[in-house]
Amino acid sequence: MTQVSTLSPAVASLVAASATDVVKLFGSGDTAVRALDRVSIDLLRGEFTAIMGPSGSGKSTLMHCLAGLDTVTSGSVAIGDVELCGLSDKKMTALRRDRIGFVFQSFNLVPTLTALENITLPIAIAGRKPAQPWLDNIIATLGLTDRLHHRPSELSGGQQQRVAVGRALAGRPEIIFGDEPTGNLDSRSSGEVMGILRRSVDDLGQTVVMVTHDARAASFADRVLFLADGHIVDELRAPTAETVLDRMKGLER
Amino acid sequence: MSAMGMVSVRNLKAHRVRLLLTVVSVMLGTAFVAGSFVFTDTLKSSFDKIFTTVDAGVDARVQPKHSYDPGVPQDLVTKIQAVPGVRTVEVHAGAPIVLVDSRGKKVQPGGAPSEGGMWTPAAQSVGTLPTFAAGRAPTRAGEVAINSGAATKGHLTAGDRAKVVLPNAGVVDVTVVGVYKTKVETGGYIGVLFSRPQALELFTDGKHVGSLDIAAAAGVSEKTLAANIAHTLPSTLEVRTGTQARTDDQGGIQTALSFINYILLGFGFIALIVGTFIIYNTFSMIVAQRLRELALLRAIGAGRKQVRRSVLVEAGVIGVIGSALGLAGGIGLAFGLHSLLDALNLGLPSGGLVMTPRTVIVALVLGTGVTLLSANAPARRAAQVPPVAAMREEFASTSAASLRRRTVLGTVVAALGAVVTVAGVTSSSAGTGASLLGLGLVGVAAGAMMLSPVLAGWIITPLGTVIGRPFGAVGRLARTNAVRNPRRTAATAFALTLGLLLVSGIAVVGASMKASISGIVDSTVRADYILGTQSSVDIPPRAAIAASKVPGVGSTTELHNVATLVDGKHGVGTGVDGPLNAIVKVDMKHGGGTTTGHSMLVSSDTAKKNHWTIGSQHTLSVPGRTPAVETITGIYADNQLLGPWLVSGDVYRTLTPPNEQADIVILIRAAPGADLHALRTGLEQATNNFYVVTVQNRDEFKGQVAGQINGLLGLLYGLLGLAIVIAILGIINTLALSVVERRREIGMLRAVGMQRKQVRRTIYVESLLIAVFGAVLGLGLGIAYGSMFTRTLRNQGLDTLSVPWTQAVTFLVVAGIVGVLAALWPGIRAARTRPLEAIAAS
Repeated sequence: MTQVSTLSPAVASLVAASATDVVKLFGSGDTAVRALDRVSIDLLRGEFTAIMGPSGSGKSTLMHCLAGLDTVTSGSVAIGDVELCGLSDKKMTALRRDRIGFVFQSFNLVPTLTALENITLPIAIAGRKPAQPWLDNIIATLGLTDRLHHRPSELSGGQQQRVAVGRALAGRPEIIFGDEPTGNLDSRSSGEVMGILRRSVDDLGQTVVMVTHDARAASFADRVLFLADGHIVDELRAPTAETVLDRMKGLER
Repeated sequence: MSAMGMVSVRNLKAHRVRLLLTVVSVMLGTAFVAGSFVFTDTLKSSFDKIFTTVDAGVDARVQPKHSYDPGVPQDLVTKIQAVPGVRTVEVHAGAPIVLVDSRGKKVQPGGAPSEGGMWTPAAQSVGTLPTFAAGRAPTRAGEVAINSGAATKGHLTAGDRAKVVLPNAGVVDVTVVGVYKTKVETGGYIGVLFSRPQALELFTDGKHVGSLDIAAAAGVSEKTLAANIAHTLPSTLEVRTGTQARTDDQGGIQTALSFINYILLGFGFIALIVGTFIIYNTFSMIVAQRLRELALLRAIGAGRKQVRRSVLVEAGVIGVIGSALGLAGGIGLAFGLHSLLDALNLGLPSGGLVMTPRTVIVALVLGTGVTLLSANAPARRAAQVPPVAAMREEFASTSAASLRRRTVLGTVVAALGAVVTVAGVTSSSAGTGASLLGLGLVGVAAGAMMLSPVLAGWIITPLGTVIGRPFGAVGRLARTNAVRNPRRTAATAFALTLGLLLVSGIAVVGASMKASISGIVDSTVRADYILGTQSSVDIPPRAAIAASKVPGVGSTTELHNVATLVDGKHGVGTGVDGPLNAIVKVDMKHGGGTTTGHSMLVSSDTAKKNHWTIGSQHTLSVPGRTPAVETITGIYADNQLLGPWLVSGDVYRTLTPPNEQADIVILIRAAPGADLHALRTGLEQATNNFYVVTVQNRDEFKGQVAGQINGLLGLLYGLLGLAIVIAILGIINTLALSVVERRREIGMLRAVGMQRKQVRRTIYVESLLIAVFGAVLGLGLGIAYGSMFTRTLRNQGLDTLSVPWTQAVTFLVVAGIVGVLAALWPGIRAARTRPLEAIAAS
C-alpha cells in the first residue's frame, strides 16, 4: 500500500494528483452506500497508473473524484498543488479544461465536428490557439494524418478513440484520466490506443491514470492499484497481463 | 387498459414538460378558431335580438328597390291604409346626424350609428312604443326625444338645449323633451327622434319617405297582406313580408360579421398550421429518443400497428386536452375581444356569450385532427423501427435518401408556384393577377417548406460563420448544431417563416399604400387646405359659403358624390362646384373644358371601358328627378381623387333631393400672398359652428390617411403576433428536446472544460441562427410577394412601391431577440448538465 502522508516539498512537486482520506457516500441515512472509504493515494508525475477492481469496488468513483467530475463526501483531493474541495464550478471547470485530459469509454466526440476540430476543441473552448509543432507531433503519434477532416461517423471505433486521446493530449494537461478507454474496442484497436498512451508517458512525460477491467490494457501501465469495497487493497508494479489476472482472481474469490 | 395503452399513458406522464408546450400550441390554434365562432355567434345573436325587437309587429314593409330610388311617395301612405287587411302604416324617415350637447361638444357614437328619426305616436305604430325614462315624446318642431345612451354620454336630460347637425339643414337647435329607453342597449348608439312634421322636413324631399312598416289587421296573414299591398305599388317599390324584412336586416349584419369571422378564422388556421410544425417536431423527437425503447417493445413481440397506435394514442390525448383547453381559451378570447371593443365604444350590442354545439365540435375535431395528422409521420417512423435496433449502440436519426425525395418534390412544387406567380404578375387584370399571386404564394411557400432543410444548410452555414465568429469555438458548435438535424431546424424555423412572411408582406403593401396616397396628394393636390369630416354626416353646404368668405381664400371648390343612372346603368361620380385646376392637377389626355354647364369630364379608364369619346352624349337620371344630358368634353388621366367622371355642381343638385345635398370635401386655395396661418385660423373659426368640419393642410391630410392605414396594420400585426408566439413555443420545445438528446455530449463538453456560461451561449447562438434563418426566409418571401402584390394593384391606386427596409431589419432583429429569448430556459437547463452525464449510460 502506498501511504505517503508526509511529503517533503521536493517530493510534493512530483505528485500529479493525490487523494487523502477520501470518503464518498451515495444516498443518505440507512440506505447510504460507502463507495470510497478513507482512500489515500498519490499519483506521481510521468507515471502510468491503472486502477482495477471488481464491479462496485469504487474504482470509477475514485477516478471521477480525482478528476474533479464528482465531489467527495470528506477528505481532500488535489491536482498538482490545487485542492479541489471548495472550488467553484467555474474554477473547477477551468481546471479540468487547462490541466486535465479525458478519454471516455464511448469516445464522446462531437459528431458535427471533424477529427481535427475535436482534437483542438478544449483549446478552442479556452479561447487559445493550439501550439502547432505540438499538435503535429500528437497527430503523427496518433497516426491520423489522413483522417483529420473526417467526421466521427466516418471513423472506426479505434480511430475515434485515437481522436479522443489526441483531444486529451492536445492541451498538454498535467494528467490524463481514462475511463475504460478500451471498453468499446476490439483487441487490436485496444493495443493501438494503449500503445499511444504508453508512448505519451515515455516520450512526452505525460501522467496517465485509467480505470479498466482489461488485464491486457492494465499491463501497459507502470503501476496497478486494486480496489475492493471502497478500499485500496493491493498494488502491482511493472505488471504483465498474467500477474494482473492473478491478482484479480485473488480479489474476486 | 391494454399493455400498449399503459405504455402510452406512462410516456405521457414521463414527458409532461415537453408535451406541455405541444398542448399549448394546439390550444392557441383552436382557441382562435373557437374564439372567432363564439365571438361572431354572440354578436349575431345580439343583433338578431335587436332586429326582433326593432322589427316587432312588422307584417309587411314597403321600400324602394334600389338605393338610388327616391323613396316611398308620401301620398302612398293613405292609399295603403285603405288596402284590405291593413291595420296601421308606420312611416320611416331618418338620416345620420351628429348630436351636439348643451356645452357645444359632439356626442361620439363610437362605432355605432348616430341617427335622426321620426317619433311615431301609438296610433300609427306597428310595434310597442319605447318607454320614457324622463320627460315625454316630441310634439312640435324643435323638440326631440333621445335614447338613454345618448343622454348619459351627452349629460343631457329632459329640458336641456342641444343641437343636431344634418347635411342639408345644417345645424338645428332643439330642446330635449324626453329620454327613452331602447329594449336592447347597443353600446354607443345615438338616436334622436323628432316630431313628425319636423322629421319630414329634415329627412325627406317633401314628397318621399324612407320606408313604410305595415301591421296587419287581426286574422290577416303576412303573405295575404303583402299580396294585397303589392297591387298598389309602382315599379320602383317592393313589398317584403315581416319575416322577409327581419331576414333582410339580419342578413346585412351577417355579411358584416362574416368579415370579422373570416379574419379571426384565418388567424386560427395560421396558428394551427404553425402549430402543426411544433407537434410534428415534438413527436419526431420523442420517437427518436425512444427508438431503443420502441425497438425493445418490437423485440418482445409488439406489432408495427401496436407501436404506431401507441404513438397516435399519445397524440390523441394531447389533441383532446389541447383543443378542450383551446375551447375554453376561445371563450376567454371572445369575452376579451368583446370587452375590448365595448371599452372602445364600437357599438356592440350587449348580451351573454353564445356557444353553439358547432363551435365545440369544430374546435375539438380540428384540434385533435391536426394533432393526429402531425403525429402521423413520426408514428409511422416509430413503427418502422426494427427490433434489432434495441441492441444497437447508435442510431442514425435521418436518412439522406428521404431528404432527397423531399427536396425534389419541394423543387417541383416551388417551381409550379413560381410559374403561377409569374402568370399572376404578368396578368393584365388586377383581380386575376392577385388570385394567381395568392395561389403562387401557396405553392412557393409549400415548396420552401419542403426545401427548407436544404436551405437551412445553405443559409445557416455562412450566416453562422459570420455571427458565430466572435464566439469562437462556441460559435462553431452552435452553427454545426443548428444544421445537425436539418429537418428539425427547418420545422422549427418555418413557424417563424410563416409569421414573418405574412407580416412583411402586409408591411410592404401598407407602406406602398401610404406612399401611393402621399404621392397622389403631393403630385396632384394643389389645395392649401382640405375641409373634411370624420363623422357620419357629410359637410353642410353652408359651411363652404362660410369658408369662402374668410379673408385670404383665393378659391373654394366643393366636391359631391353623385349617385345616379348613366344611360340607365348605376354609377357614382363626382360633382364639382368651383375651379378644378386650382385645387387638383388634372392631366388632360384629350379635349379639355371645365365642369360647368352640361360638360362632363371622364377618366381615361372609364372612357375606355364604356367606349365613350369626346362629344358623346350621356343621360344622367334618377327616378323622380329631372334627367340631365351631358356632353363629354375632356378625358383625364386616372385620378384617385376625382373618380370615374366629373359633372357640374348644378347637375348634382338637379339629380339629388335637397335633403341629401352635401359636400364630401371642400378644398381651399389660398389667395396669392395670403398668410396661411391666419387663413387656417379663419377657416377653423368660420366652420366651427358646423361642428363636423375639420381643417387640414396637405401633410395633415396625408397623415390622417396614413394613420388609418397604420391602425389597420396595427390590428393585423397584433393578430399575427400570435404566429410569432407559437413560433417561440416551437423553438423552446425543439431546443429543450435537443438538450435532452445531447445530454451526454454536453456532459462531455463540461468535462473537458466548457464553462456553464459557454454552454448557455452555445444554445443561445444556435437558437439565434435558427430564428434568423426562419426570419430571412419569411422576410424574403414576404417582401417579394408584397412587392408583386403591390405591382398587380398598380392600377387600383397602388402605383408607388415602397419596401419598408428599416421595418424589415427591425423584424429581423426582433426575430433574433425572439430566438435568444426562446433559448433562455433550454440554455439554463443545458448548463445544469453535470459532467458525469458524459459517462453515465444512456
